[in-house]
Amino acid sequence: MDTPEPLLKIRDLHVGYGKKPILRGATYDVLPGECLTLLGANGSGKSTSLNAVCGFVKPTSGSVLFDGIETAGLSPHKIFSHGIAQVSQARDLFPDLTVEDNLRLGAMRRGGKEISQTLQLVYERFPRLAERRKQPTRTLSGGEQQMVAIGRALMSRPRLLLLDEPSGGLSPQFCEEIAKIIDTLKEDGVTMLMVEQNLNLAFRAADRFIVLRDGEVVDGGDVRAMAGDHDAIVREIYL
Amino acid sequence: MSTTMPTSRQRRLRTWAFWAVPVLLLLTPLATNAYTQFIINGMLISILVTLGFTLVIGNLGQLAFANTAFFGIGAYASAILSAKLGLPWIMTIPLAGALGALGGFLASSAALRGIRSYYLAIITLAFGELMRWAYLHTKPLTGGTDGLPLPRETMFGISLSDDTLKFYIFLAVTVVLVKATLNLLRSRFGRAVMAVRENEVATASLAIPTARVILTTFIWSGFVVGCAGALFARHVGHVFPESFGMLHLIASFAMVLVGGLGSVLGAVLGAVVLTALPEYLRAFPGMEELFFGLIVAAVLVAMPLGLASLLRRLSPIFVERYYREES
Ligand SMILES: Nc1ncnc2c1ncn2[C@@H]1O[C@H](COP(=O)(O)OP(=O)(O)OP(=O)(O)O)[C@@H](O)[C@H]1O
Ligand SMILES: [Mg+2]
Repeated sequence: MDTPEPLLKIRDLHVGYGKKPILRGATYDVLPGECLTLLGANGSGKSTSLNAVCGFVKPTSGSVLFDGIETAGLSPHKIFSHGIAQVSQARDLFPDLTVEDNLRLGAMRRGGKEISQTLQLVYERFPRLAERRKQPTRTLSGGEQQMVAIGRALMSRPRLLLLDEPSGGLSPQFCEEIAKIIDTLKEDGVTMLMVEQNLNLAFRAADRFIVLRDGEVVDGGDVRAMAGDHDAIVREIYL
Repeated sequence: MSTTMPTSRQRRLRTWAFWAVPVLLLLTPLATNAYTQFIINGMLISILVTLGFTLVIGNLGQLAFANTAFFGIGAYASAILSAKLGLPWIMTIPLAGALGALGGFLASSAALRGIRSYYLAIITLAFGELMRWAYLHTKPLTGGTDGLPLPRETMFGISLSDDTLKFYIFLAVTVVLVKATLNLLRSRFGRAVMAVRENEVATASLAIPTARVILTTFIWSGFVVGCAGALFARHVGHVFPESFGMLHLIASFAMVLVGGLGSVLGAVLGAVVLTALPEYLRAFPGMEELFFGLIVAAVLVAMPLGLASLLRRLSPIFVERYYREES
């Protein structure tokens, strides 16, 4: 059986802040339609990896090929226009604007009628947001704000969605909701690259995982093959 | 503080209310004497000055203080075009607006070079002082310290020194520019302006062209204030460099804050109230400035979000889709 052509190909990626190297030759693929989870200790460069893909940080060397296009070094808005949207760890919402304004801002570059349709889809997926569409975003709970952040990313109809700790600071019920959202996104054919510390969620939602350590990919595999053996992975990540 | 948005019925009511105000104002010349009419004409000018200012510092969130520079550019452009080139004054209004817009373009180029907050404030203040220096030192064009008088002119057979005629022209210009600004802020563009204010980096990452948003807002602000300058030139009939100094800037800033930062309604309220206030304070000779300052300070302490916030609490009609709710 041949594997499909990867949607995202990371090759020998080096990223650093100042003189401090964070990624030192990371190499991995994200296949179309899958959800790949990045695991690693705090500070191992998981967020940095996502930021390098969406252009928030510029790689010092190496290649980021998205659907055959070299995106390493492009500005974030160019990369966004190619169809990569990130839900960052800080969520980066516009707190004083309403939920609906936040969502619409995710699709500024597209036409009006299409926006309304996509907005409808997002509200169907997140009924809680539909109820709160006119509320300033800062008045929402943390979990609801996470929904706004994901919804806003979806407004651009991304081909690759980057999720940085979608469960961060949220209750177990919310993690389950997030897992369901990821499932439906997968059904819709959205490819995802996710960072997730909550291993239950990570293994419930992802198809494959890779482990980052010392700026390199040290392990990885099929999530199903690891089912029930989280201990081995925890040791791999944190020891 | 959470504010409910207006319902569609309330929005219709608001549209009616918006047009009712200028229609009712059409009658003011019947009810006022020449002096009051002169003050009201000044209010209309202040509304535009405050509106342009609040757009940049309130809605866009850029600490730029070139507003009085735009105003002076507009006023001098109108005076020079009328006096030296013999253009009918009414035609100088859009041209003054265009030159004000050019001023806005120059001010935004500082912001777009990444100069922000206090540094942008200093640079734009310097821009204002530079303009004043230019008015003083280009005597053949501006008349220097003597200023530049506008020529006598008539329209529809009525002299343009007639305050009633001026009132109708000023009112028309003000209504058009306020309405256009409201439409701009309610559009997708307005949403992008607010997004830039709240988080410029996040806005850029959504592929929204933030530089174009900043540039356009400054240019529109400069246009509105430049047009106001042309009205002012005719209002006083004689432009002097002193009219465009720090005092004017501080007064406009007070109008922005008293009305409510980033609110169109606030710009109108702040301009009207602070233009009227000195007239009431004439009863206390020698104490006018003191009382003026105290009243402004009291309003700001009691209502940090300005007079517009008071009306918003009264009725959702006054809730603008976009305004700055918290600093
Ligand atoms: N803007 C920055 N400037 C300098 N150093 C940074 C910057 N951002 C991250 N770092 C450093 O890079 C390293 C990796 O950070 P990163 O945020 O990628 O880690 P992470 O794996 O996402 O961690 P966490 O699980 O805590 O979110 C850390 O040591 C961090 O201090
Ligand atoms: Mg992180």
